[in-house]
Amino acid sequence: MKYFKVFVPILLAVFLGACARPPQHITLEQNKPEIDAALKAYAGVWSTANKVTVTVKSVGGSSGIDLGTQLKADFAAGDMPDIFAISGLEDYKQWANITLDLTGEKWINDTAVPFKVDGKVYGFPVAVEGWGLAYNADILKKAGVDPLTLDNYAAYKAAFEKINGMKAALGIKSVVSMAASIDMSWVTRDHDLNALLSNGLSYGDMSATNDLLAGTVDAKRLSEYADWVELMFKYADKAVLTTGNYDAQVGAFASGKAAFLHQGNWVDPNMAQAKATFAMAFAPYGSSSQPTDGIFVSAPSFYVINKNSKNIPAAKKFLTDLVYTDAGNKYMVVDALMIPAYKNVTLSPTGQLSKSVQAWAAAGKIYSWNQYNFTQEFREKTLAPIYNQFATGAVNKARFIDLMTKAFEGLKK
Amino acid sequence: MRKAKHPAIFWLFLAPVLFAFVVVIVIPFVLGAYYSFTNWSATARVGDALKLVGLANYAGILRDPSFTYSFIITVVYTLLNMIAINIVSFGLAMLVTQKLFGRNVYRAGFFVPNLIGGLILGYVWQFIFDNAVPSLGTFLGFASWADPANLLLAHNTTALLAMVVVGTWQYAGYIMVIYVAAIETIPQELIEAAQIDGASTFRRLRSITLPMIRQALTVTLFITLVNSFKQFDVNVSLTGGGPSAMFLGQPIYGTQLLAMNIYNQGLKSDDMAGGQARAVVFFLVLVIISVIEVSVNKKKEVEL
Repeated sequence: MKYFKVFVPILLAVFLGACARPPQHITLEQNKPEIDAALKAYAGVWSTANKVTVTVKSVGGSSGIDLGTQLKADFAAGDMPDIFAISGLEDYKQWANITLDLTGEKWINDTAVPFKVDGKVYGFPVAVEGWGLAYNADILKKAGVDPLTLDNYAAYKAAFEKINGMKAALGIKSVVSMAASIDMSWVTRDHDLNALLSNGLSYGDMSATNDLLAGTVDAKRLSEYADWVELMFKYADKAVLTTGNYDAQVGAFASGKAAFLHQGNWVDPNMAQAKATFAMAFAPYGSSSQPTDGIFVSAPSFYVINKNSKNIPAAKKFLTDLVYTDAGNKYMVVDALMIPAYKNVTLSPTGQLSKSVQAWAAAGKIYSWNQYNFTQEFREKTLAPIYNQFATGAVNKARFIDLMTKAFEGLKK
Repeated sequence: MRKAKHPAIFWLFLAPVLFAFVVVIVIPFVLGAYYSFTNWSATARVGDALKLVGLANYAGILRDPSFTYSFIITVVYTLLNMIAINIVSFGLAMLVTQKLFGRNVYRAGFFVPNLIGGLILGYVWQFIFDNAVPSLGTFLGFASWADPANLLLAHNTTALLAMVVVGTWQYAGYIMVIYVAAIETIPQELIEAAQIDGASTFRRLRSITLPMIRQALTVTLFITLVNSFKQFDVNVSLTGGGPSAMFLGQPIYGTQLLAMNIYNQGLKSDDMAGGQARAVVFFLVLVIISVIEVSVNKKKEVEL
C-alpha cells in the first residue's frame, strides 16, 4: 500500500510531464551526400535553438540506391519525411498529391527561381548549381591550350588531341575524367544528355526538349551531340569510364591525373577534402559545331514540404531560417559550399568551381537544366544502357545515334 | 497406430514463430498477389486511385525483354553458383575433417564470410576487382592486370563470373558446415574396411563418402539453388546491374538478376504492381524448380 502511494504519483508525474511537452520532430531527406556532414551539424544547432529535433537523411552517390527509390519505400511504409528534395517536374508529379502549397512564404520574394506549378509555389530552391566541363587551368596552361577558345566541337577536338599527345609530359593519365558505368549512369543520361536538350538555346527555351518528349528527333542536333559523346568516351581513362565510381572519377581530376572533369560545382567539397589547390574553372560544352558560350546553371533541387506532416510550422521555419538567419546562411555558403539562390544572402562560396558558376551566371551566359523533364524510368532504364554500350565499345557511333533516335521516338504517344 | 494429440503447450511454443511467419511472409504474399492485379504505383501522383486491371501487368512482363534476359542469366548464374559452391565447400569439408592442426580455426574461418552481409561483400569485392587486382598487377609487373579491358567487372559475361566468385565466397563456409556434419556421421568401420581391402582414396570417396552424404546433398543443393536464385545484395553492390548488354536489339542492364529486375520495376519505374506481378511469377518458378529438385534427390537418398 505504501509503495502504491509512492509509485502512482511518480507515474502520473512522468505521464503528465510527457504529455505537457510532446517532443517535436521533423525529418529532412535529401540527395546530396557531399553536404551531409554540414547539414547534420547545422540541423543539430537549429534543433537546440528551436526545441524541435531534426533528423537528416542523405541518400545518393550511386544509381543503386537513390532518393527517388528511398522516398517510394518511405511512402509505402507510411514513413514519409516532413521535408524532402525533388529534382524537377517529373519528380514533382510523383509526389503532387502530398506537396504543400508554399505560396506566400517570405523567401519567395528573395529568389528568382522558386519551383512553381500553375502559378503556385511548391518548392524551396536549395542552391544554384552548374556544370560545364571543369578544367585544370595549370595543366591547360602547360599544354598551351587557351580555355577561352573551348566552346565548340572543333576547338575541343583539337585541344583534346593536343593534350593527349602530351600526356606523359603533363603527368596525366587521360585527357578527361568521365564515368559511364551503370552505377554512374547519372553522369551520362542526366548531365551529358542535357547538352542535347539545351546547349546553345536561350535560357528557358524548351523547344528541343518538347520535340524529343513528343518523339520528334532533330537528326542534325543529335548527330553533333553524338560527336561530342564520342570525344568524351575516346579520351577518357577506360578504367574510370567503364568501372569507376564517383570517388574514382572525381579523384582522378583532384589528383591531377586528368585535365578535364565531367562534373559540376557540387564537387567543391570533394576538392577541398582532397586538398586540390590548382586553379580550376568551367568551360562550355562543345556539343555543337556552332559556338555555345555558356554553361548549364539552374536551381535544380527543391525542398518540398509534406502536406501530411505533423509539424508544418516547424518545417516552414526550418526553411525560412536557412535564408534569413546568419547561421543558416553560413551553413549554406561556407560549410556546404553551395551558391545561394537568394538575393539577400551576402556571403559568397569559397570553392573555385562555385565561383566559376557565379561568374558565368553574372555574365548572363547560362543554359537551362531540362533533363528532369524526362521520367526516371526513361532515363535509367532506356537511356543509361545505350550510353554504356557506346562507352564500352559494344556499339559504334552510328548505332548509338540509331538507338537514341529509336529511344526518343518510342516516347511518341 | 494412435496419432498423438497435440497438447496446448505444443501450440504455445509454436505460436511466436507461426505469428511471425504469418505476419511477415503469408500476409504480404497474399496482399502482393492481390496488388499484382491492380495499377498500384509507389508514388502520390494526382488522380492515382487504386483500380483492378486484370492481367495487364502479366502481359507487360511478356513484352519486356529485360525480364526474359534477367530470367535467363539468373538460371545461368544459379547453375554456375550451385556447382561452384558445392564443389568448393565439399573440398573444404574434406579438408577440415582430416587430422589437421588447428582445423577448428579453419572451420570457423571459412564460415566467417557468411556472417558479413551481402552488400558489404559486394563492395569489398568490387574494390578488389577494380582497384586491388590492377594495383597488384602493376606492382608485380603484370601490366595486363591493370588493362581496363581486362577488368572482370567491365564486361557483363565476366561480371557474372565475378558474381559467382563472390557468391561462392559468401556461401562456401555455410555449406561446408553441413557437409562436415554429414561426413562425420559416416561410420569409421566402413572407411577402415575399405582401406584394408585396398581401395584408393578416390574409390572410397566415390563408393562410400558420396552415397552416405546423400541426405546432406539434398539439403545443400536446395539451399544453394534457392539462395542463388534469390541473389540480390551482391548483385546491387558488386555490379549494380552491371555493364549493359544487347538483347533482342535493345540495350539493357547486363547482369541484372531477377530479384533486382523486380526491385527496379517496382521502385525505379514507378510500377509497384508490375514489380509485384513479376514477383509472383518468380515465386511460382522457384517453387516448381525446388519441388522437382527435392523430389529427385529424395529418391536417391540412402537410408542407413
